[in-house]
Amino acid sequence: MIRLKGITKTYQTGQVSTPVLLGVDLEIAGGEFTAIMGPSGSGKSTLMHIMGLLDRPSGGSYLLDGHEVCDLTDDQLSVLRNRKMGFVFQAFHLLAQATALKNVLLPFVYAGPYPTDAQERGRRALAAVGLEHRLSHRPGELSGGECQRVAIARALVTDPDLIFADEPTGNLDRRSSYEVMAILQGLSAQGKTVVLVTHDSHVSEMCSRVVRLVYGRIESDQRNPSPLSAAAMLAGLPPEQDQP
Amino acid sequence: MSRFSRLLREAARFLWSSRAYTLLMMIGLIIGIASVTVIYELGAGVRERVVSIMSGMGFGADAFFVSSGGGRLGVRRPGGGSRTLTPDDAAVLARVDNVAMVVPHLTLRRDRVSHRDLHTSTVIFGVTPDYGAARRWDVSMGRFIDQQDESQRRRVTVLGSATAEELFPGQSPLGQQIQVGSVPFTVVGVLEPRGGVGGPGRSRDDLALVPLSVAMRRLAKEDKLSSIRINVERADNFQDTVEEVRQILRTRHKLAAGVPDDFTIVTPDAVVELITRQSRAMVVMLTFISAVSLFVSGIVIMNIMLVAVSERTHEIGVRRAVGARRADILTQVLMESVMVSVLGGALGFGLGALLSWLLEWGFDLPTAFSLQGSVLAFAFSAGVGLLFGLFPARKAAALTPVESLR
Repeated sequence: MIRLKGITKTYQTGQVSTPVLLGVDLEIAGGEFTAIMGPSGSGKSTLMHIMGLLDRPSGGSYLLDGHEVCDLTDDQLSVLRNRKMGFVFQAFHLLAQATALKNVLLPFVYAGPYPTDAQERGRRALAAVGLEHRLSHRPGELSGGECQRVAIARALVTDPDLIFADEPTGNLDRRSSYEVMAILQGLSAQGKTVVLVTHDSHVSEMCSRVVRLVYGRIESDQRNPSPLSAAAMLAGLPPEQDQP
Repeated sequence: MSRFSRLLREAARFLWSSRAYTLLMMIGLIIGIASVTVIYELGAGVRERVVSIMSGMGFGADAFFVSSGGGRLGVRRPGGGSRTLTPDDAAVLARVDNVAMVVPHLTLRRDRVSHRDLHTSTVIFGVTPDYGAARRWDVSMGRFIDQQDESQRRRVTVLGSATAEELFPGQSPLGQQIQVGSVPFTVVGVLEPRGGVGGPGRSRDDLALVPLSVAMRRLAKEDKLSSIRINVERADNFQDTVEEVRQILRTRHKLAAGVPDDFTIVTPDAVVELITRQSRAMVVMLTFISAVSLFVSGIVIMNIMLVAVSERTHEIGVRRAVGARRADILTQVLMESVMVSVLGGALGFGLGALLSWLLEWGFDLPTAFSLQGSVLAFAFSAGVGLLFGLFPARKAAALTPVESLR
């Protein structure tokens, strides 16, 4: 699905150039649940942004489904993001003034033709993350974990092949983290390709593959034949105290 | 639903969710457009009232004056100075094509008129029998000056209602004798009261009409006219007729090329122009001030949009991430600023129309709906939105997705 070859990225700030990625070769097959780990400044977020077509590499080649994407125009990249990808961010990035359902429907604003069943698909996506009872709540009325689940629903609603999650549990408590990871594991089980950036090794233990990045290069790339089940971890937590 | 209408909805949603910003952005425009609207409605109202007063005086679009003496309307008082028009001029002009009626007329100095021991001073006009018909001014008692009066130079007079009241309080003036200067006249009629102002400090009903021939021979003692009023048959040939009259008079007065006219042609348009000149100067000045205030409100819109764009950097990043193209972001921000301006313009226009109505209702100031003003207001506000939205919109669209998500 994703084939990176010799990907480099250098940020230019005035006279100072900062190399971030020094040649990354990486193949990710469909259905894999890959964690990209590394210390701060290792370039893991930059790598995810390049894979998610949010940023362009300075050099190298990126084949997405066998097609080179480095030569595509800005508009073509927008269309690919809209059709094939979904994003989950650490800070949720929901529209504060819009309801959960409106937030989830945002990708359809920029879809080619507007699907006639958009509302229905938005409801289904929210139901898939267990928020069918929160359709008309605004982000301010939701907990952090619920916000992140709305964000996942927004990433799901167009039924993309690829889900990118940048520190999705970074702002969440333990319980919400397990909930989010359980949803992502479920998506992976359905055949979606999930790429997750994290610095939390506990989170990476729930992924089927862990790519470790240090100073812009891949240091290790390990398969994890028996990832921890987030759902099982969630079940093992002591019962919630005062959740209405 | 088309992409355009989806973006329009996103833009409207932003304006609604940021009502405080929206209101702040609109307020300058509302005030600016409201004042432009009031100015234009007042200007149009003054013009409309002047035209209606003039056509009430029988000086509508089918008549003009030639008055003695050169110069320009509004610079020199028509009829002042030496008289240059003659009854023969009037007779010749009556034969010009498209001329329906020629009414020669002589205005004399204000003079003392008396009846027994009552006296007053009034303006004496020498007129022909057509005068009443041409000015649509009838008598309320007695009769108007007729052809016999004119040809036999009878010393008869038709008094204005105010003058009649001065000299004959509570009694009929018909058949009575009055003295104009030292010349005795018999009163044969009294004009309908007209009301209004006929000159500086003078009622329009303060006058005495005498046959033109008598005015020339007995009072002015020269065969000259103050002015000739000309009614045309077809208003569409108006300008051609005016020009033909000018050329005939220049030839008759033996004016060489380059010598200015020794008469002045006064058209209704020129009079409206003269009367509304001052209010037009005010309109221009106030329009300029409003333009400055609209420009300032444009700057305000731009600044608030810039703030809103930088506050929404992450939102723009998310929109880009889920598939918005640069053009989508640019379009949405432009839609926001144009929408806010057009809305502000519409509210301002409504407020201005309401204020104009209040001015007319409360202070009896003439106002009229001005199409020019409303079109200008809408064009201006849409233009302000487009112009001052462009910079924030370009700024919003320039960011890459990664830059705006950071």
